[in-house]
Amino acid sequence: MRLRIAIVDDEDLARAVVREYLMGIADVEIVAECANGFEAVKAVSELQPDLLILDVQMPKLTGFEVLELVGRDVAVVFVTAYDQYAIRAFEVHAVDYLLKPFSAERLSAALDRVRERLGRGETLPVHDLAAAGQPAQGHTRRVLVRDGPRVHVLPVEKIEYVQAQDDYVCLRCEGKEYLKEQTLGELETQLDPAKFVRIHRSFVLNLDRLARVEIDERENRVAILNDGKRLPISRSGHARLSALLGK
Amino acid sequence: MHPILSRVDRLAVYLGVWLSAGVLAAGLFTRFGLSWTEALALLLPLVLLYAFVSLSAWYVSRASPLTTTSSVLRVLVSSFLASMFASGLWLGVANVWIAALKTTATFAPAADRYRQQLPFLLAMGVLLYLLSLAVHYVLIAFETVRQAERRQLELEILTRDAELRALRAQIDPHFLYNSLNSISALTGSDAAGARRMCLLLGEFLRNTLDVSGRQRIPIVDELALAERFLSIEQVRFGSRLRIERRVDEDASACLVPPLLLQPLVENAVTHGIAHLLEGGLIRLDVSRQNGHLAIVIENPCDADATAARPGGLGLDNVRKRLDAMFGREARMDTHVAAGRFRVELELPCV
Repeated sequence: MRLRIAIVDDEDLARAVVREYLMGIADVEIVAECANGFEAVKAVSELQPDLLILDVQMPKLTGFEVLELVGRDVAVVFVTAYDQYAIRAFEVHAVDYLLKPFSAERLSAALDRVRERLGRGETLPVHDLAAAGQPAQGHTRRVLVRDGPRVHVLPVEKIEYVQAQDDYVCLRCEGKEYLKEQTLGELETQLDPAKFVRIHRSFVLNLDRLARVEIDERENRVAILNDGKRLPISRSGHARLSALLGK
Repeated sequence: MHPILSRVDRLAVYLGVWLSAGVLAAGLFTRFGLSWTEALALLLPLVLLYAFVSLSAWYVSRASPLTTTSSVLRVLVSSFLASMFASGLWLGVANVWIAALKTTATFAPAADRYRQQLPFLLAMGVLLYLLSLAVHYVLIAFETVRQAERRQLELEILTRDAELRALRAQIDPHFLYNSLNSISALTGSDAAGARRMCLLLGEFLRNTLDVSGRQRIPIVDELALAERFLSIEQVRFGSRLRIERRVDEDASACLVPPLLLQPLVENAVTHGIAHLLEGGLIRLDVSRQNGHLAIVIENPCDADATAARPGGLGLDNVRKRLDAMFGREARMDTHVAAGRFRVELELPCV
């Protein structure tokens, strides 16, 4: 099987050495070289490579963030110079990784294992790995959403509310809606609980956007947002909301 | 804080010495017609009191300190006046004490003989006060030396810390492994480039070892080190890392503690350039402004970076070292504005 590969590294020379090694390995084809995470996401959606050779430390989007965005569509071999957190995460989740500088043999062996894994139809535990690979930084300050070849970076303060839709969440941000493949519960844990509150099974609300709470004709509570938008509040949601506003 | 009053053990020794002096003086007085009991009854309370009066010598010695710049005459005059004053005061008290002793049956007969000793008491008072002054001058000198030693030690620790930090930065896994990876990449495509990189790396490591352990180095040497570092990083980052430097000719002879700039330059790369897709320009500006050495290091930074404060520890060490070496004469300021991070140092040019 011919492996179609995208090389992702922000350093020219680091990509060059991978390219050089791959020339000596049979049945591989380099379909893209990406200098950052955004280009990698674009390459995945437009060229559908089988494998990303992905550097961990990159500007704006780290390797782990790229993995979260595209991990279900492509196999990944990580590359890092040295990153304690990343290496521990790789070990825990039995993920293949290369330590710079590495040899052509080491790369070739990693590709063999990728072929095996692809043959068995295995995929990476995307979210677990991404969570384990980065030092805990408290609450996330931005949410990344992939829209085909594009990546939207949504600063959390601009998110109005998040709605659960099956396996997705729909993020409302500056009048636009963004779909992300993630559960609402999972996203909720990443957001600052002092700012974002689960007012309903299907809704997480940014408190800054709340104008007032009304009671409708059927005795249900409704959150009215600054722009007039109405969101339902459940009984337990109201308890959480009052606890937060009472403080 | 008074060096004697502030510590109980010192005060005890001090009073002990005074009491012995009192007993000795009493022994002397027995030669002039006083019995031991009479002499001790007169002297012990007076000497004990005078011991406390003489503690004021500390304030005298502080008011006219004995340094290389102070005038000897001033010290002598103030010592003499202070001792005369204290002794005169003491004599007054002695008179009162003798009057008090006169009212008792035991010591009434000795009153006249007591009065005959008054001139001796005055002389003794002056001498003892001068002695106390001398002791205080010595104590202050000790204290000054100890403080200077402590400051020196503190400085050495900070310098050692900076050296360790710089050495660790070289074997900083990121820097070292990435540099090795660049060399590995270059060997395939650009053998001359690979060799150049090996040489740069070697020179950088050697230079760091050379300057560490020295007290002061010319700013140009420090800048050369920073430039080696940046050249290595430039091989890695390519066109993403651009450098602009301006060094005033008349600033180049100024001496700085070694590896002062190194953590700042490293920060500019690892917390600045490395976080930007397009990289940017690091600006280094060294100039001389009214006798001071002014250094500015500026780098672009990611406006929406997740890290709150770039390079806290490295900056902290630089600030502490400047403080230990120059005190208020040096300062360091950092600003973030319009996507650029700027560190300004100002230190005496020595």
